[in-house]
Amino acid sequence: MSIKNLVPNTSNPLHVLAGFALLGLASATHADPTCGLSNGRPATGEPLAIGAVVGKTGPDDFSSAASAAAAYFKCVNQNGGINGRPVDYIVADDQWNPETATQVASKLVKDRRVLAMTGSTSFVECGANAKMYAQEDVMVIAGVGVPRECFNAKNYAPINSGPRVSATIAAMYAVQKYQAKKMVCIIPNIPSLGNWACEGPKEWGAKHGVVSETIAIDPGSADATSVMLQASAMKPDVIIMNVPKGILVPMLAAAEQQNLGKKIHFVSSAPAYNIDVPKAIGPYWKGRFDTNLEFQPLDSQGLDNKNWLALMDKYAAKSDPRDSFAQSGYLAARLVTEALLKMDPKKIDRAGVSKALRAVKGFKSDILCKPFYVGDGLRHNANNSGPMASSNGSNWTVASGGCLTAEDPELADIRADEVKMGVR
Amino acid sequence: MSDYLPFLISGLGLGAVYALSGVGLVVLYRSSGVLNFAFGALGAIGAYVAWSVLDAELPQALAWAVALATSMGLSLAYGRLLAPRLAHRDPTIRSIATLGFALILMGFTEWFWGEQPRRLVLPTDADGLELGEVRLTYTRVLGLALALGMMAGIGLLLSKTRTGLKMRALANDRDLSALLGLRVLQVDTVAWVLSGAFAGVCGLLLANIVRLQATLLTFLVIPAFAAAMLGRLNSLPITVAAGIGIGVLEALAITLPGFAPFRTSVPFLVALAALPFFRNDARKA
Amino acid sequence: MNARAHSFLPPNCMNDASLLPPAKAQARLQLQRDLRAAAQRARHSWLLMLAGLGLIAIAVPLLANAFWMKSLISSLALSVAVAGLALLYGQLGLVSLCQHALLGAGGWVALRLSHGFGLPFELCLLAAGLCSCGIGMVAGLPALRLKGLYLALVTLMMAGAFQVLVSATGFPDGGDGWLGRVVGSERLMMARPALALSDEAYFRYVAFCLAAVLSLIEWHRRSRAGRSWALIRRGEAAATAAGVNILFYQTWAFGLAGFCAGVSGALLAGGVGQLDGRAFGAAESVMMLALTVVGGVYHWLGPIISGLLMRAVPSLLSDFNVNGFLADIFFGAALLHALITAPQGIAGQLMGALKALRQRLQALHETREARQA
Repeated sequence: MSIKNLVPNTSNPLHVLAGFALLGLASATHADPTCGLSNGRPATGEPLAIGAVVGKTGPDDFSSAASAAAAYFKCVNQNGGINGRPVDYIVADDQWNPETATQVASKLVKDRRVLAMTGSTSFVECGANAKMYAQEDVMVIAGVGVPRECFNAKNYAPINSGPRVSATIAAMYAVQKYQAKKMVCIIPNIPSLGNWACEGPKEWGAKHGVVSETIAIDPGSADATSVMLQASAMKPDVIIMNVPKGILVPMLAAAEQQNLGKKIHFVSSAPAYNIDVPKAIGPYWKGRFDTNLEFQPLDSQGLDNKNWLALMDKYAAKSDPRDSFAQSGYLAARLVTEALLKMDPKKIDRAGVSKALRAVKGFKSDILCKPFYVGDGLRHNANNSGPMASSNGSNWTVASGGCLTAEDPELADIRADEVKMGVR
Repeated sequence: MSDYLPFLISGLGLGAVYALSGVGLVVLYRSSGVLNFAFGALGAIGAYVAWSVLDAELPQALAWAVALATSMGLSLAYGRLLAPRLAHRDPTIRSIATLGFALILMGFTEWFWGEQPRRLVLPTDADGLELGEVRLTYTRVLGLALALGMMAGIGLLLSKTRTGLKMRALANDRDLSALLGLRVLQVDTVAWVLSGAFAGVCGLLLANIVRLQATLLTFLVIPAFAAAMLGRLNSLPITVAAGIGIGVLEALAITLPGFAPFRTSVPFLVALAALPFFRNDARKA
Repeated sequence: MNARAHSFLPPNCMNDASLLPPAKAQARLQLQRDLRAAAQRARHSWLLMLAGLGLIAIAVPLLANAFWMKSLISSLALSVAVAGLALLYGQLGLVSLCQHALLGAGGWVALRLSHGFGLPFELCLLAAGLCSCGIGMVAGLPALRLKGLYLALVTLMMAGAFQVLVSATGFPDGGDGWLGRVVGSERLMMARPALALSDEAYFRYVAFCLAAVLSLIEWHRRSRAGRSWALIRRGEAAATAAGVNILFYQTWAFGLAGFCAGVSGALLAGGVGQLDGRAFGAAESVMMLALTVVGGVYHWLGPIISGLLMRAVPSLLSDFNVNGFLADIFFGAALLHALITAPQGIAGQLMGALKALRQRLQALHETREARQA
């Protein structure tokens, strides 16, 4: 994924103006990324161990968040470290297997005694390890979380918004733009995902006179056409795809073969937002397919976004993807670095780090729609807004509404926590 | 009835997939005595190679040719280099060994091409038959036609030609056939190359109809075993009919209330339900 | 000397050699001596197994770190299931491609009972074993009519059906209702046995269970069941002629293999704390059979090696940061190599090597004695 694919492609005049205004600064920052202390001095003290668990080899490769975080920590280590101490960032692959996830988490937490985990991105490790993290008091600032367990754990705070919130925003946008009255939400039938993530549109819709049905599919099924036929037989105005991009592409291909895009609008939650998807699904879906983004677009001209790209260019491998997972990994690493920098470098221990991370409030970045926070609530879902984008046949066009905030009834406790913390 | 028709039609596409794979499996079994677990993996690597060729903007025909050549070549390599070393073991062990081969192919494919949403587009996707509300793309029609055509062709090959006779003899009793003067290596070559060609074609069609993902394509061979089993690992027409039947039933299972999340179990349930109807073959397969 | 001829003699001749002509009496005594020696060797092997597992149970927790502790707990837990599979294939020549699915079924029962009723671990273990035993017996019924590859395919179909079922319903993790799935709050981990709460203690517990299961299988082998199985393997005609009830003994073998799978599932659930519905595909069962054969089906060391291959070797590769897909290639190649070069499995190769070593040492000892004399 190289920069040439990320040519600014917005039609929003505000974005264009902002781009011009920042051009001078942008070209300056693009050359030299900032991170941590930014003092150019390599760190030489006693290393601080930080871990991550990613699902690398399996149905999909989720390791780009950890690669971005690794690039960030590499930059930090060459720029003064954490008040002189370098970060030893260890990434473990759980191979999409919960048993392996428990093993590698044990290795990191109990053997390697990491201070915190950051940039973790795994489908299976939240459920497998949440209890252990709580018992060992390790905070996890995850890059991306997917199943319900990632958003329902005391010690787990994903930077992304999650499939339920993302689908809810997509549903809200669809109702607003297409005046939909009936929607169908398609989701894999994996137990902690299939009965949770499509409930967001359903519960939101129930409060606004919109009906949303759920179809749970078997991700290993070979028959996308029947699912599309089943969905269209329910006569919806909008179909919400809440599936990983590997399954999304064949499903849209099947929908294209049945010419469903003509009468039904297709929207998707965040997994569709990927550079390869518009080309893979083809020109049929130009203007017919919208997706939610969990962060600002990859080609946004914001300072922090450009810093991220510059940092990836300087410290990451050429083959590391510059996708939204990488954005989240960068943010997670930045958050942890800034929290650690506030601590006394001689007294950094796990309890202190967990306390410092819980105290994070008002973490600002133009990659995020709103400032991020962690807090000490029983669960974490601080990122619950995002913009929408539409496929133009070869790339994504950002929609004009800007950031939409999810009005998912399940977020009530999060909202209450926000009020208590004073961020709302 | 009109509620079920769309699923019946779309089930034909899936059924063609199962039928083709089933025929390929049975053909190799009848000609070499091995149940090839690597059938899906051989097809998958061929499909990925085809995708790479198409991605480099080279012509379609070349993509197909290279894909088939890859599958046939790899199948031949296994058949000539590794399979003879196991020829004296029992059929189950020989079949399990192909699983090792499948792992090697699948691991290589995933490692080399990586995970990225890909689509194998074939020219026959562009148009199709409109049957009511459903469209049967020409790719699926091609799949069905190929399944029937291969069934007829291979059936004729095995029963009417000398080569077919030799293949059946070799599968029946390898040592005796060798004693009788059968050119074991030659016949083996034909059998494995033929199976490789099948795997390549199946892989291309499957990658288009299902999705281009190595692990899924490799393990799609397991429902295909259901079709092969219903054909008693012997009869090609029954295998084709069973494959199409299973595909249609699996698609129709969506309409059963509450059963839809479990519908991918239809191939297995059908195969198990057919068990009591198996004659007491006690065939030492 | 034809041993078979003696099986037609009425039983009391076996004990009273004076009733036989002299040459046959001598042969009869020799046979009895051989049988006693074989029984002694089997007993030594069993004691060696107990000693070996005992040593592992004591030494490994002292040496291994947390990562390896978890990995080896899983390895030994899986060895229990492999032992059952080795029994079916080694003793009876029957192929079952659904052992991992039976493991999952046992794990499901153990989890549901533990979370739902708070029963002690041992009861959940036994319940899991008995449940899988029952299902295993049902799974074994087709074996009466079908053999070889057909039986393998039938069991594969069962594994496939289980895969679809369990990936849709998942495993119990603390909730209510039939499925026991928790909604909204954190998942529960399975309660470990009161004696074995820490990883180290649990490892010893699993090693003890493995030793118990291997002893159970060995006891079966030396009993009437074992002799019946040997006859069934030789041929159904021979078995029926000798008066063996094939239905009963074959079903019993499947039941025993199922029991091993169920116990293994419960031990695995206790070790990891939970089981995931996506990890029980049909391909896992096929892999389990493949690695059972590679480990060796004729010796108690085989299941232990197979368990290590299933869990410890992948852990080792991931510890060295080998890409998971490259590890797959390595595994496939190793599988092929093992199947081609070692019909008796790795355990067989090790035993063969040990035997050759012993013979060479003995030969050396004898030549030395001869030279001194």
